[in-house]
Amino acid sequence: MHFLAASIESLGAKVTGWFAVAYGMAAFLGRAGRLLLDRATWNRATFDVVVKQVYFTAVQILHVYLGYVLVISWLMVSIILSTARDFGLTEFASEMTIRVLVLELLPFLTALFIALRSGSAINTEVALMQVNNELDALAHCKVPPMQFEFLPRLIGGVISVVTLSGLAGLLALLMGYLAIYGLTPAGFAPYTQTIAKIFDFQIVAGLIAKCALFGLAVTLIPVTAGLETPKKLFMVPVSVLRGMMRVFLAIVAIEVVSLALKYI
Amino acid sequence: MLLAAVAALDDDVARVSHELPLRANLSALDNIALIPLYQRHLGAAESARQAMDLLQRLGHAGIAPLRDPDMTPAQRFVTKLARALILKRPRLVIDRPGAMLYDVPYPVFIRRLASHADLAGTWEIYDFSWNQALYTQVHDTE
Amino acid sequence: MNGFHFKVGLFAAASLLLGGAFLVYLLHARGFFEDTFHLQLAAASADNVAPGVPIVFSGIEIGQVVTLGLNEAGGILIHASFLERNARWLKENSTFTLDKPLVGGARIRVESPDLGAPPLPDGSTVLLQVSDISREIPVLVERVKAVLANVEHLTRQDGEIHATLGNLKTVTGRMTGEYGMLESILGSPEKARAVTDALDKTRVLITRLDGLALKMDGMAAKTDTWLFAPDGVAEQTRESLAQVRLMLGDAQSSLKKADALMTHAVEISANVKDGTQDLAALRTEIDEAVRRANALVNEINKKWPFARDPEVKLP
Repeated sequence: MHFLAASIESLGAKVTGWFAVAYGMAAFLGRAGRLLLDRATWNRATFDVVVKQVYFTAVQILHVYLGYVLVISWLMVSIILSTARDFGLTEFASEMTIRVLVLELLPFLTALFIALRSGSAINTEVALMQVNNELDALAHCKVPPMQFEFLPRLIGGVISVVTLSGLAGLLALLMGYLAIYGLTPAGFAPYTQTIAKIFDFQIVAGLIAKCALFGLAVTLIPVTAGLETPKKLFMVPVSVLRGMMRVFLAIVAIEVVSLALKYI
Repeated sequence: MLLAAVAALDDDVARVSHELPLRANLSALDNIALIPLYQRHLGAAESARQAMDLLQRLGHAGIAPLRDPDMTPAQRFVTKLARALILKRPRLVIDRPGAMLYDVPYPVFIRRLASHADLAGTWEIYDFSWNQALYTQVHDTE
Repeated sequence: MNGFHFKVGLFAAASLLLGGAFLVYLLHARGFFEDTFHLQLAAASADNVAPGVPIVFSGIEIGQVVTLGLNEAGGILIHASFLERNARWLKENSTFTLDKPLVGGARIRVESPDLGAPPLPDGSTVLLQVSDISREIPVLVERVKAVLANVEHLTRQDGEIHATLGNLKTVTGRMTGEYGMLESILGSPEKARAVTDALDKTRVLITRLDGLALKMDGMAAKTDTWLFAPDGVAEQTRESLAQVRLMLGDAQSSLKKADALMTHAVEISANVKDGTQDLAALRTEIDEAVRRANALVNEINKKWPFARDPEVKLP
């Protein structure tokens, strides 16, 4: 009896905790959104920080990332093609390639890539800023940390995931063409037909929205997790651990919801 | 000289304190330039110029590109001081300088800075009473 | 500082350029810059047709079904749209056929035998033919079965031919009797009719088998164009069809021989020449034909289990 009560209590505590986290994130997002609409935010300084964020999140790793996309898409295209041939379904191979790679796998991997590289860095940095009183110092100087530190990170994250996914998708389309038709322009018309069939307005809008949500998830969640850190240095790893766990859950949730919306 | 007073300081006071660190991933110049940039919405170049100007007047123009971990305690103190000065608040309080300037005879150091800076206004120093003796030669200045 | 601004600028410009180029390409692919060409397809039934069903020409998709509807006469009107650049494959003598292959979704196949023919005008109405291989095969198998059952019935131990031939045997003994014509040989008008009836039935059977064999030929030819993979499931179907055709040919030639022998038998009995030997040969021939026909039915049942369950599910 006592055990039951205790487990219900712990469950309740967990649920409350999750609600608190979700509320915190939503409130933070609301503030960021309001600031985004504020004209005063759009000054040269914010722009500079956004540029810096885009540089560190996307441009710095571009060559590594594109190489990795090249390998992944080449592998996936070959697997799909050979499987399709085995089952005599070659005519569906190009469509399957595009759907699997461009619409699902590459945005997902991009989000994971950015989450592992930039998300964890953001989480650590914000946690350290919180623990070291740097945020208090900024508050004392009346420099708004939202405009100066957080909003550019959110914008940079969204821009980075959207552009990197887009570039990866284009590369995968190219790889798919080369794998299916080789170095001839002969397959251009049927390939164009397949692309036209898949990418209707809804799919393109959904893809961009999904990538933007991924970008938001991999920056917003680490920032809020970092801000929650108690002012103790040993809590920084715990904060990063929690933040990354939430990022992972959020990415999977976004992917699952997008798949459900698309195919159910 | 009462610590409780430090906590009660309000918005028209600029504080220099070890509890208010610099932004660790920005250079000294950027740390100072933040204030005109975000409070007065000046351009990046103008903000940087003002910050550089201030550092020059304090006689430490050379520390402009250094980041927090690369600075000596004195350089860090100068940057914090410049950041407080550029806020242009009526009062400037240096909170327990001994905690920040542990490698220099700080009353002398602060006095020298004050003479360099050539700025209007009063600098108030809050410190532990047992450090009173250090200030006997050098009283609170200007 | 300057360096990374340049890099970010380069990255942004390249991404925007590529994104813009892709957008333009996509709009081009989706026919945003050209007119759409519309066509109404009249059909008896809307089975297997749904919005989005592709319309293919030589295996390449050139358009798709947009909407389905009923006209005032209760017929089905299928509205299809094409891109202007694809409309040049649609000629006045083009045929539109609804295909429901064993593997994959339904599609409407366009065949334009003469590309020099005048083009189809925009908004015209054409007839949609239905050819559904998976629906035809079970029907065909049923018919083959019926025909073979008929053969079996005719030639069974106590069947008409057997009885007639038995009579024939005894009658040959009295060839020189007072009866001159076939009617007289057989002893009675009924018996004479029985023989001629049996012969007629055999002939009908042969023509039907002929027709079936032709149909099989046609189907085998069609599968070549329908089913894509050279070593896929479809190839097996094609082989099966070819085998059925061969077997039917066998049965057919056996029955033809039977026919010839029967005719011969009648002549023999008329001419009183070594009648008994030929009649024995006739029996074995007919038995052989029956055996082959039975084997054919078994073979068909083995090859196409979906004769009972026409749903074929493939991965």
